[in-house]
Amino acid sequence: MTRRTYLIKRVIQAIFSLWIIATILFFLFRMGLPDPTAALITEGLNAEQRAAVRAQFGLEDPLWRQYVLFLTNAVQGEFGTSFSYRAPVSEIVWERLGNTMILMLAAIVLAYGIGVPLGAWLSWRRGSRTDTVGIFVGLMFRSAPMFWTGMIAILVFGVGLSIFPTSGMRTLPYDADGFLDKIFTLDFLWHAILPVLIVALYYLGSPLLIMRNTMLEVYGEDFIEMARAKGLPERDILYKHAARNALLPVVTQLAVTIGLAAGGQVVVEVVFSWPGLGREILNAVRTSDFPLAQASFLIMAAFVITLNLLVDILYTTLDPRVSFR
Amino acid sequence: MLAGTSMLALVGVSAPAIAQERVAPVEIFTTTESYDPIRYEGAFIIAEAWRELGLDVSVRPMEFSTLLDRFYSEQDFDATILGWSGRVDRLDPQFFLGTLDSRQAELGANNPGGYDNPDYDALYDAQGAEFDIEARRDLVHEMQDVYMGDVPVVVLFHRDEVVAYNNTQFTNMNAMAGEGLYSEWVPMEAEPVGDRTTLRIGGPQEPDNINPLASTSVWGWKWMRMYYDRLVRLSPDVEPVPWAAERVDPVDDVTIEVTLREGMTFHDGEPLTAEDIAFTFNYYMDSEYSYFNSYLAPIESVEVTGDRTVRFNLSEPSAPFATITLSQIPILPAHIWSEIDNPQDLTPEQIPTVGSGPFAFERYDRGEFMSLTTNRDHFHADEISVDGVEFQIFADAEGVFTALQTGEIDMTAWRMEPGQIPLAEGNDDLTVVSVPDFGYFHMTYNLRREPFDDRAVRRALTMAMDRERMVNVLLDGRGEVGTTVVAPVNAYWHNPFVERFEYDMDAARAELEEAGYSWDSEGRLQR
Repeated sequence: MTRRTYLIKRVIQAIFSLWIIATILFFLFRMGLPDPTAALITEGLNAEQRAAVRAQFGLEDPLWRQYVLFLTNAVQGEFGTSFSYRAPVSEIVWERLGNTMILMLAAIVLAYGIGVPLGAWLSWRRGSRTDTVGIFVGLMFRSAPMFWTGMIAILVFGVGLSIFPTSGMRTLPYDADGFLDKIFTLDFLWHAILPVLIVALYYLGSPLLIMRNTMLEVYGEDFIEMARAKGLPERDILYKHAARNALLPVVTQLAVTIGLAAGGQVVVEVVFSWPGLGREILNAVRTSDFPLAQASFLIMAAFVITLNLLVDILYTTLDPRVSFR
Repeated sequence: MLAGTSMLALVGVSAPAIAQERVAPVEIFTTTESYDPIRYEGAFIIAEAWRELGLDVSVRPMEFSTLLDRFYSEQDFDATILGWSGRVDRLDPQFFLGTLDSRQAELGANNPGGYDNPDYDALYDAQGAEFDIEARRDLVHEMQDVYMGDVPVVVLFHRDEVVAYNNTQFTNMNAMAGEGLYSEWVPMEAEPVGDRTTLRIGGPQEPDNINPLASTSVWGWKWMRMYYDRLVRLSPDVEPVPWAAERVDPVDDVTIEVTLREGMTFHDGEPLTAEDIAFTFNYYMDSEYSYFNSYLAPIESVEVTGDRTVRFNLSEPSAPFATITLSQIPILPAHIWSEIDNPQDLTPEQIPTVGSGPFAFERYDRGEFMSLTTNRDHFHADEISVDGVEFQIFADAEGVFTALQTGEIDMTAWRMEPGQIPLAEGNDDLTVVSVPDFGYFHMTYNLRREPFDDRAVRRALTMAMDRERMVNVLLDGRGEVGTTVVAPVNAYWHNPFVERFEYDMDAARAELEEAGYSWDSEGRLQR
């Protein structure tokens, strides 16, 4: 199979998966979530008034028509109007997605930037005390719930030492000319440090341990023996020969992590009052804001699918043994 | 074979007086523990007591919106624990008394238990049309007395609203019943004692939107009412005081004339005239926005009778018109809104924010921040010490409390978590305020179903509820045992001389016995 037909096939597969996910989301929310106007009852609205609101939301139309409308709009990148905000969903989602991604990507880069070389180094020092401590720390942050580490960080650095802000992504109020203007400021950096560190520490465990363990496997391979026999320095063997071969599983893990990052770490967004997509999704589901919930989940799914596709393609470059067959 | 049949027949005849049947099992619907641990635990306390009476009871926690649906829209329940929040416009007894009116027993309306008492309904109509406030009070008191004996609903308790503010920044912060500190009066009364003159409020809730023809949440209106004036405002003691209106004069039972203050202007400088008032009410009445429908219902027409006078023609006499309707409808500028045909379709950028209130809208950054500046041209401006109001939006109550501790905000907009209260009390910079609520948590019986169709059963089951314990255990003592739907804190309308149904298991058993119930050998209730 040629590269081109392989790609076409994979793209079609991806689109098909997205359609299935969109369909499931559409029906799942309508069947699983309560009527979005239910909450209006506590405001004292009667049945007739609620029906009027339902009609406004287009919920009085037959289900199949709502579904067709949803799909045709989604194909054009349109997700309708949020029930509660009365604002275009795409606007809300893109803004929130940006806030989430900047937090998550910074944390992922930090975690993998440190985790990968550290894992390689630990494997080299396997069995030593450094190795034990390294594994312990990695596992500890991996297992500690982030709402807890986050709150401890807030308590110590925010309330106790007062060196970092405890909430938000900028000092309020602020004026920003678009997203980049918002994040390329010292104020943003100051706000981002704590949440980014908390997420990074949580993520650190994966690349660290995966790298270390794969390295240990690679050390047993014949080509390492060969390199040693040739008299290459240990450092070269470690970083040039072994590490490159141990990268594959880390790359897979990285892609999955980035894909899922779109959903954000709801817990961190809540603890630090970070205006991200995760928090928004939570609200959308809570208030049965179907258009907002559908769009958010669909975008998350699109992220995961696209990144998986990219990784499969990247594999062929990273590892020539993987071919398009 | 024959002998056997006659034996059975004999046994049947010799059974005690009348063959009794076990009382059908009942389910208590309540919220999930994560949504509200208080209502969740409360259900188990009640179930335990009812089991002691020999009833087969199970508790079914439900996701909140599902619970609302089952209760209101489907009326498919035995007994349900829910609550009504104490919004300021509900201090007038009209709303809460209406939840027992039989004409509100239809699907989706506010009387899901289906209480149907013609005497009560007649009194309800009479008080609604009674302009003489003392005569109306007598009627309202009588209504509470009439329904209490039937106990269609049990008011479990009123929870105190516990909020806090930073006393090193502001003073003269007077909490208001049902509103806590986030009332429209606190920003108007607060006196800065620190360097900062803007009052910073923090809360986990934000408006759904700030479109006065689309917002359907308390949080939208709590914010908007600061920059929109109303004809009448409810004072901190919840008395209606003329606000944008200089006078409200009843011409007769169904005609009310309102005279505006002189020289009022909107934030954009345009004058506020009688035309704006008539326009606003007509605009709301013609719109698809149903949030204010119950307030607007008594109005037949609104006409401009002079530069500063408007006449409201009502379809029937309405006592709450001056207190509720006039105090809830915001005054919109006609010169802006008359050009908007489909106000519900406005995008956030298109929503006009021009009002005439004591504060003027400045900005709203969704999920993060809102602010207002003091309107120095307002007739009340001389009384206002702050230069503006800011509202920071947090993801949860934890974030709000942290910000209060670090001094980032000056007051909480919403009640504190139970665990935060002792921390706040231990902090010298913070003043903790506890405000009694006139909203209430209730258990409503479904009067269409056995065994709740039997008045005696309802009375007995109510006596079996240890509400004192609920307040002490569930609310940590921060609350009050419920009596009638009109709360004790609403002193003018509350009738203190009603049957109270104190906790008394023996009395409960006696009540059941008297109504012909008995217990089988295993202690199960039968009839």
